[in-house]
Amino acid sequence: MTTEVRVGGVGMTPFESDSGRSLTNLAATAAERALDDAAVDLNDVDALHFGNALAEALDESAGLANALAAALGLDGASADRIENTSATGASAFHRGVDRIERGEADAALVVGAEKMSAGDTRSVTEAISRLVHRREYAQGITLPSFGGLAAGAYLDRHDAPREALAAVAAKNHANAVDNPVAQFRKSIDVEDALDSPVVAAPLRLYDCCPMSDGAAAVVLTRAGDADADAATADTGHPPAPRVAGVASATGTHAVAERPDPLSIDSVRTAGERVFDRAGIRPDDVDVACIHDAFTVLELIELEELGFYDAGTAWEATLDGDTALDGDLPVNPGGGLKARGHPLGATGLSQIVELVWQLRGDLPAGRRVDGAETAFAINVAGFGNNSVCTVLRA
Amino acid sequence: MTDPDSEVPENGAPADRDLPADDLPADDLLADRELPADRAFVCDDCGRRWYYDRRRCPDCGRSSADASTVRLETGAVMATTTVETTPPDVRAPNHLALARFDEVQLIAQAADGDLAPGDTVRFDGSHRLRDGRERTDPRLVAVDDS
Repeated sequence: MTTEVRVGGVGMTPFESDSGRSLTNLAATAAERALDDAAVDLNDVDALHFGNALAEALDESAGLANALAAALGLDGASADRIENTSATGASAFHRGVDRIERGEADAALVVGAEKMSAGDTRSVTEAISRLVHRREYAQGITLPSFGGLAAGAYLDRHDAPREALAAVAAKNHANAVDNPVAQFRKSIDVEDALDSPVVAAPLRLYDCCPMSDGAAAVVLTRAGDADADAATADTGHPPAPRVAGVASATGTHAVAERPDPLSIDSVRTAGERVFDRAGIRPDDVDVACIHDAFTVLELIELEELGFYDAGTAWEATLDGDTALDGDLPVNPGGGLKARGHPLGATGLSQIVELVWQLRGDLPAGRRVDGAETAFAINVAGFGNNSVCTVLRA
Repeated sequence: MTDPDSEVPENGAPADRDLPADDLPADDLLADRELPADRAFVCDDCGRRWYYDRRRCPDCGRSSADASTVRLETGAVMATTTVETTPPDVRAPNHLALARFDEVQLIAQAADGDLAPGDTVRFDGSHRLRDGRERTDPRLVAVDDS
């Protein structure tokens, strides 16, 4: 019989442009909030997985998992650090789920954190530009470069108006206004997005996620574990959401080698795998967190994952289908665009948001009423690796 | 560091077994092989071309360590962008084009921002693509079809 993994508790710090706190401090704060939320004693944690992408590149520190274990006072647990660029958080979550499914841990603390303010804009841009293929790097190509090329191709092929991209930004900003952990709690309209400075044509500033500090954490437990069940009962929450599936896939590293610039194999493959493992179809999903590092990515991923047919996600967005009160609410917490994108924490912040939604923790205006099945995708680079998760209430 | 008096060195390999030179993986040479922007790899066995270095031919699997290279002639633009926010050592704005040269697709710097999807392009000129790089490479320019 397959071991059932539950998300016993979640916690995170606000995402900010400059937290003024150390990386370890951010991580430990999120971890303690998740432990409190799960009502799990630190002494019962036997696995710690710490996701961080840029610490070395920004000359922060190394040995991160050990430093975090020491800060928390966690002795005797197995601990490691996970890195998968922008998908670091989801990969750390994947590792924690695996450990419990294999019976190697009873309670896993999974933490993701990033302190991008540790470097100035130039050094962070340089660090992120190193994520591409070295022959792309030689051309000065960055992740926004890929976003600009894909956005231009998407608008051309599907005869979509530029407003379709701006509508993604406006929607995600609107969702972040009442989210206390979001970096940008500011409403914008389509015109604001269309008037913002060009970053990589046709993408503008409001089409792009920010650089962020922040941390997110979850406590994973094994369903049927007496201690964990007792702890869940103590929290007063509804039953802890179940991890119905986690799956990942690599894809083409050099973006230009993709036969179709609007096709991201890693997204499609990871999606097919997770839907298969969870035994559901895209139609079954009630709420989704989609990796919108650039607005066009939200549209492409929704289509690659089968939520919409190719070339139709932009119309669905303009029609309000992906709004908080639409048929498929997408990025109800603001997404990377407005909640923020501290690389190592983002994938876990998606899980935190979905757990809040499934437990019904959120107030009206933030809540997707009646959500029972939730989906997340966290993407590395511009799609050379993707991690998908399905949670069920 | 390996202790010459130790029977088993720190790297775990038996001390009495020296790898013959012929056994050294020639593929490791690939890591340092950097081609000009207008050249692609070509498999000497099956003729498959590719642009982004990889250790083996994607079709037949032959090692690419000693693969021949070929100069790319003309291609077709599939998408373009002009990047205003660039890394510290890259020109701003940076005009880029995704272009297809037969079976090879690549993203490269364009000489200017006038290219559009469907244009025919070739590589031309000699430019330092990033400040501090010693080498120079050509950029994409439009081919006059008239």
